[in-house]
Parts: sequence; C-alpha cells; structure tokens
Amino acid sequence: MIALTSLNRNEAKRYLGGSGIELDEKMLTLFESCEKEVLAAAKPRYLYKIIDLPNDELTAGEDIKNHLSGCAKAALICATLGADVDRMIRVSQISDMSRAVVLDSFASVAIEQVCREADRILAKKYPEYYFTFRYSPGYGDYPIELQKTFLSVLDAPRKIGLGANENYMLIPTKSVTAIAGMSKTPVERKKRGCAVCDMSDRCKYRMNGEHCGF
Amino acid sequence: MDFKTLFETKEFIILDGAMGTLIQKSGASYSHSPETLNITAPELITSFHREYIAAGSDIVYTNTFGANSYKLEGSGYTVGEIIGAGVRNARAAAEGTDALVALDIGPIGMLLEPAGSLSFEQAYGYFKEQIEAGSQADVIVLETMTDLYELKAAVLAAKENSDKPILATMTFERSGRTFTGVSPAAAALTLTGLGVSALGVNCSLGPDELEPVVSEMSQYTGLPLIVKANAGLPDPNSNEYDILPDRFAECVLGLLKYGVKFVGGCCGTTPEYIGEIKASLGGRSFTPAEIKRGTSVCSASTAVEISGPRIIGERINPTGKKLFRQALVNNDIDYILSQALSQINAGAQILDVNVGHPEIDEKAMMTRVIKAIQAVCDAPLQIDSTKPDVLEAGLRCYNGKPIVNSVNGEEKSLASVLPLVKKYGASVIGLTLDENGIPKTAEGRFEIAKRIVSRAEQLGIDRKDVYIDCLTLTVSAEQDACAQTLKALHRVKTELGCKTCLGVSNISFGLPNRELVNSTFLTMALEEGLDLPIINPNAEAMTGAVRAYRVLAGIDKNSAEFISCYNEASTAPAPSRSAESSEPDIFSAVYSGLKNEGASATERLLQSTDPMKIVNEMLIPALDRVGEDFEKNKIFLPQLIQSANTAQACFDVIKAHLGKTGGGSVSKGKIIMATVKGDIHDIGKNIVKTLLDNYGYTVVDLGKDVDPQLIVDTAVEQNITMVGLSALMTTTLKSMEETIRLIRASKELQNPDGSSKVTVFVGGAVLTKDYAMKIGADYYCRDAKESVDTAKLVFG
Repeated sequence: MIALTSLNRNEAKRYLGGSGIELDEKMLTLFESCEKEVLAAAKPRYLYKIIDLPNDELTAGEDIKNHLSGCAKAALICATLGADVDRMIRVSQISDMSRAVVLDSFASVAIEQVCREADRILAKKYPEYYFTFRYSPGYGDYPIELQKTFLSVLDAPRKIGLGANENYMLIPTKSVTAIAGMSKTPVERKKRGCAVCDMSDRCKYRMNGEHCGF
Repeated sequence: MDFKTLFETKEFIILDGAMGTLIQKSGASYSHSPETLNITAPELITSFHREYIAAGSDIVYTNTFGANSYKLEGSGYTVGEIIGAGVRNARAAAEGTDALVALDIGPIGMLLEPAGSLSFEQAYGYFKEQIEAGSQADVIVLETMTDLYELKAAVLAAKENSDKPILATMTFERSGRTFTGVSPAAAALTLTGLGVSALGVNCSLGPDELEPVVSEMSQYTGLPLIVKANAGLPDPNSNEYDILPDRFAECVLGLLKYGVKFVGGCCGTTPEYIGEIKASLGGRSFTPAEIKRGTSVCSASTAVEISGPRIIGERINPTGKKLFRQALVNNDIDYILSQALSQINAGAQILDVNVGHPEIDEKAMMTRVIKAIQAVCDAPLQIDSTKPDVLEAGLRCYNGKPIVNSVNGEEKSLASVLPLVKKYGASVIGLTLDENGIPKTAEGRFEIAKRIVSRAEQLGIDRKDVYIDCLTLTVSAEQDACAQTLKALHRVKTELGCKTCLGVSNISFGLPNRELVNSTFLTMALEEGLDLPIINPNAEAMTGAVRAYRVLAGIDKNSAEFISCYNEASTAPAPSRSAESSEPDIFSAVYSGLKNEGASATERLLQSTDPMKIVNEMLIPALDRVGEDFEKNKIFLPQLIQSANTAQACFDVIKAHLGKTGGGSVSKGKIIMATVKGDIHDIGKNIVKTLLDNYGYTVVDLGKDVDPQLIVDTAVEQNITMVGLSALMTTTLKSMEETIRLIRASKELQNPDGSSKVTVFVGGAVLTKDYAMKIGADYYCRDAKESVDTAKLVFG
C-alpha cells in the first residue's frame, strides 16, 4: 500500500507552466483545496514483477536495449490513482475549468509521487541491485503497443483495475507503466534529459525555458 | 438434470474452484492464453473438470474466461473454436454425472465509456459472439466484473441471444466497492431488475472479508446469492494463498445466513476446497434472506431507497425553457450537464431527463444525454419521454436501475411501456389518466391506478416498483381539484401500498406568488403520503419544505441531514464586502479573474455606457493584456482561464442587456471543437473551448472520440467553416489526418473552385507545426491562447 499525505505544489505549478510565478492569495487557496481534493480522491495502487533479461516479449527497438544493457533483471511496474480521480477531473471541467486544470496537474504530481514511492520500495526490497530509471512504452522508439503486454504480464486490469484502450492510452488516465533495469553493478543514469527526448523539438516546458523534471 | 431441477431440488448448489490455479500447478505450457489449452490439451482440461465434479461440484465453469475476440487476437484461434472446445471438454467430464456445464465469461479486457472508449453497444457485440459460441452449455456465468455497465451489456447479450439461466458475479475491493466504484447495493438492484437467476461476488478477497459486501447485497435482492471467494491473499513470492480448505469452508458457512445458495471458490482454490465445502454443507438447509430495504433505484454507485420523500429534479426538460431548447438544437451537452450538477448541489436525489423537442432526433439525444450525465453524476435518473422507442433507448444505455416516466391507464401505453419496464428492470411512474382523460374524482384516478398496478403485476413487475402520480391540476381553474388529487394520493398510498409521486408546480398556474402556493401544496401532499415530489430543487422553499418535512415526520434521524444542509449554508462566507466597497472596474476584475465583481461592474456601467464601447474599450483590452502577460509568463493557465471566465460573465450581462433592448448578437463566429476518434483525453480541447467561449465565439463541442463523419456532417448542417481538432497520442494523429482528409474531400464544404471553405486548426501534446501542415491543417496552435489568436485572425 502506498498512501500519499501531501503533494508537491511546485511540481503542480510547473506542469501548468507557472514555475516562475508567485501564487497570489486566490491561486493559493485554489491550489490548497485542489491538493486536498486530489489526496482524498486518489486510491494509489501499484504492482510490480521482477523478470529475467533478456526478455524478447518486452524488448523492441534500440532504445530499450541501450537502457537495459548490463542488466540481468528488470522490474516491471505499473501504478494508478484509480477511477475516482478521472471522474473528479471530468466533473470539475463542467463547473470550473481553472479548477480542473489545477486538479489535473496535482493528479499528475500524485501519480509521479506514487511511482517514486514504488521505486523506494523496490530499492529496499532488492538492496543488492542498482536500478536504472523507469522507462515507459512510448518513450523513444520503445513501442507504445507494448502497453498491452505490460498490463497482461502484470495482470493489471484484474488486480488494480488498470487497462488501456485500443490506442494504448492507459485508463484510468492518471497511471503509469514502466520498466526499470536491475544490475548488481552500478548503472549509468546518463540517459535522462532533453538531449535524448524525442519531444525536445515541441516540448512546452522547453519553450518556456523550463524542464519537465524527467 | 437441468438447471431448474437442480435449483429446486438442492438446498445448496456447489460450483467449482479455480481453473487457473490447477493449470499453473500442472505446469502445462501454453502460448498466448490459457484458453488455448482447450484445443492443445483437451484431456488435461477435462481432467480438471472431473476432479471438481468428483469433489462435489454441481456446476463446472468452462475454461473460457478470456475467450473473447479482443483477448484472443493473435492466438490463432477464433472465439467459436476456443469456446466450442471449452464446452466439449466440460461436457466430457460431466458425462454420466448430474453436473451441469456453465459457459464462463469474464470481462472483455477493455474499459467501457465513459472512462474507456469501448461503447456499450460494442461490448454487447463481444459478449453476443461468446454467448452464441457457447450455445451447448447449460448455464451462462458472467464473472469477475468490476464495471456494472459492462455486466449489463453481457446480461442483455445473454438474455437476447439465449434462453439460459444467468449467474452474475462482481469483484469487490476491500473498500466495499469495485474498481469502477460500483456498490453492492447497485449491483444487486440492477442485476435483479435485469432478471438474472442469481448474483453475488467472486475473486479479489477471501471469504473472511466478504461479509460486508454479501450482507449489503442481501438487503436489496430476493434472489439467492453466489459466493466464489479467493483462498485469501497470495504470497507475492510463492504465490501460495493463505486460507486453507477447512478455514475456507468455515468462513463460507458464516455467509449462508445472507441467502447464499451457490458456493464455490476462485483464485487459489482446488478440488480439496470444494470437497471441504461439500462436507461442511451436509445437512444444512438454505435460508432465503429477508429483503430489508424498500423499493430503491440506483446509479452504478449510489442506491436511493424511497424511504420517506425524495426529491426528483425536473429541470432537464425543454418545456418552456428557451435556453434548454437551444442547447438541444446545438448539441450543447455541457449546458445540460451543468443543469444536472446544479440540481444535485441544490438537493435533488433523482434527476428526471426529458429531451423531447421536434427539431432533434430524440432517441439519439436521449442516449447521448444519459451517457453524459451518468459519467459525471451519481444520482439515479428518471427517463422521461412519451415515445416508447426513446424510453427503450434510454433504458438500454442506463447504468443502474432507473425510473421510467411514464405509463398511463391507456391500453396502448400499458401494452408498450410495461414490457420495457420489466425487461430492463426499472421502476415506473403510473399516471392516473387514460383515453378518457383525467378523471375529475379521486375515485376515478384510484381505479386507473389499480388497473396500472394489476397490469404491472401480471407482467411480473413488483407493485412496490410502480410509483403512482395522481396528477396535479391547476387550482385557480378548479378549486376542488387539489382536494381530489390529495384524496387519490392518500388512497393509493394506503390501499394499494404503492409509492406516489407528483409534479407539484402545476397547482399554482395563473396565481400570483406561485412559490408560496407550491410549497404549501407540497407540504399538504407530503402529509398525505407523497414520496417523490418532482420539483425544481433550485427553488429553496420547495427543497426546504421536503427537508423540514423529513425532520418533522421523524425520517431524518436527529435532524442530521437538515443540520448539515443549513449549517453549511449559514457558515459559508458572505459576499466579500471589501470587494463591494472598492468596486473594481471591469479591467481589473477581468485581469484578476473576479467573476461576480466583473459582472456587477458591467451592470453598473451599462446604465451609462454604450455596450459596444464596454466591449471594445474595456473587455477586449483587458483580455489582450491577460493574453500578453500569459505569453510573457507573468500569469499562468489557471489565471488565464479565470480571467477569460470573468470576461464571459461580463459578455453575458451585455448579451442579456442587448436582448432586452433588441440590439444585435455579440457572437463573433461559430467553431466546431472535437477530440479526434480514438482519443479520450480531452482536457486540452476543453480548455480551448472554454477560452473561445469566453472570448465571444460560439463553440459547437462534439466531445471526445469523435467520428470524422460527424464533424463533416455538423459543419455542413450548421454551415460552420472553422474546425478545431485535438489529439494527445501519436497513435491518434492518424485519426486527425483522416478527419482533415474527410473535411477537405466533402463537396459541400468546398468553394466553387474546389478549395476548402473550412479553416482547420489543430493542437495537442505530440503535434508539431510541421506535422500539422503535413496532414493538411491550416493552423497549429500550441496552446489555448494561440487558438483564440487564430480565431481572431480568421473571423477578424
């Protein structure tokens, strides 16, 4: 079980393109109440499974091979905030759009915090391993079609109510699937950042001189 | 042996245990999915069924849980092959015994609307294929469902394509709900209504944790319950379950008092568990549970028991409402949704939904509106139409147990509406009128009520699900009418034992101070036994009368509901005085996103200033400044939206003023917005829509996952020449391309020289300007602000 007790407000602000902006009283009130609402609606659930490498079923394209090079095992991870968060954001879009976008960004913050918590749990459970960062279907040339394989290997629809539609969008939407390589020798964490990101030419954070945090 | 005999002769019916667990233990290898073993290792699967029958199972489930065409894709087998073989394997094991074979059907594996993009109708199609393929089974089992909507599609597919009994079970979390938020009460009410043979729970939890769920179900249904629990929780490393057979059987025995008749096991259980259950059930007899709750209706998450008066909100109805009619014609679903939400906030517990209007396709609109409302509201719905085909369309796509509004004493109505009520398991409102009109006397209306109830009972509809409306007439026209209505209501309540409803506000037609008359009449009716007042919940006197009545009649225990309603209201912050005293001008109200202040500043200014001057010299410059500051990163998205919302509030005041003074319209142009086919993440599109709205454009919002043809048709019908498309995923960019291609190809949307009349602007996280141009868009907008700039450019 992962329980969230607070959400990173600066991250939420950054997702909204407001890093450099100081919240006025009105925005502060909005942020506080949205944070509370997301915390109340979120029912974080996660699953993982340790697999041996190489694994043909989950390897496609060059990027993932590079990412997992030198790793004997990998952790498949998925996590979700559950359906209530989606519903809450849907309802808020009818009555108050500015609230909806703030809720949406707090929910994005929340699912990332859940993933980081899962990282910590895994690291504690497998202290003899070094982990690469999480890599998800759809990054680089790692096919998004593998979403379906991730979900079925983890039995995610049945165990945590996480599925995907025919275009491989995760549902509930505030969810993540990822793979992290595991190695008994230190792994380089060099591959993060804009230089290797295929969104770099159109990234809204970069346009604002910011960074997505990845 | 057939199911009916088994059901009638056995005290308890023993189901089987897990198939997957046995397959796993056997070490059998398979490619793609375990269902393929039906063909590659039929002997093995048959031997598992034999083990369960030998252990005592009266019914064995075929190895076909995931055998639908979505999950079998890539397996090399068809649904017909896998299910055909699955049924044959089970049949071979049952040969020479009394055991029955159940066609086992699990969830499709894709999520349904509104969370997912699989439509209710598509889900029906998947299940239909499975049910037809399993025609040789004795029973149909629908299990491990977490979405009541998906389960409803499956039950309808089973009912309409076979005559076999149906066993339906859902999977609940420790929270007492399924993953999609379905409550045990809602599952019990809906499935009972749809006519399954038994319902209950399977999987997820051990039998020791299921008591709250099973107990809640038993309060809402008279049907026998099914329990097929897991053997506790699996150990993450060994995958061994922690409840052993003897303890498992003991826990199951503890649940029998809730009317459980069907018992088996799910994940982790083996023939040993079934043997233990069989041994421990020996000598016991089945005790049906008593239904503790009165008649109830529900959405997928919320059951509303008609215990004491409940408010039905009447506002989703075009009669006499110009804005509502306009929303219907413009397909403006958001307007209707805002009506739904505001009624619930005001205290409505059930919402009436009527979308009858001569200019629209009522049937299609009913389906659309019901699907949209149930995506955002937990309140049960009342489907309201004079046309049986519209009622059926609504009943079919409704997720829960609704009310049908209405049937009356006329033969034609009885014959066409009541069978629908029965088939879809709804409650129904019975109007006490017939081909001769509304009887003047209470006696006349009572007789019609009796007739309706008796016809309903002949069809197997419980009289407690018939809510009689004794009809409110206008007291100014006929003063005695009020007494007749109340007298009829009282008789229906006491002599027929039916719940009653009334549309209240008709009473005061033609009188001054209507609300006073309405609320007084409402109180009188409540005292006579009115259960379901159909009112405008936004009228405080009406909602308040119902709340106060519930206190005074001792229904609202310790006045808890009443206190929570009114304490909150009285502690809510009063409108800020400082804002009033400083009276911000329009510019600063818009810039700071102060909606109420902006509107009142506009009202004040209109007394002395030309409306167009306010628009051009104050509102537009304020919005421009907001836009500039947004681009310079001085303010961010939520502030931009609040400012734009404020501007809209100002525009609305001006529009209303122009309406009064007969001035022209202030709409700057009409734009279609849609998230493309296959794409369901629509917050980006909604942000753009909000801003365009706020900036004075009229947006026709077609929603998400929109068929390209619908976009073209709408553009042609409404003569719209600007279309905005949004796509979030690389996988849905192809739908965007396809949509643009279709727009360009449409002859009706071309100029005489063959060029396109339509300006297409696109946006979305994965789009680039280059790509947008490549797929034939006219403009790429990287955010909502750029969309507004583009609209300005196009419309001038």
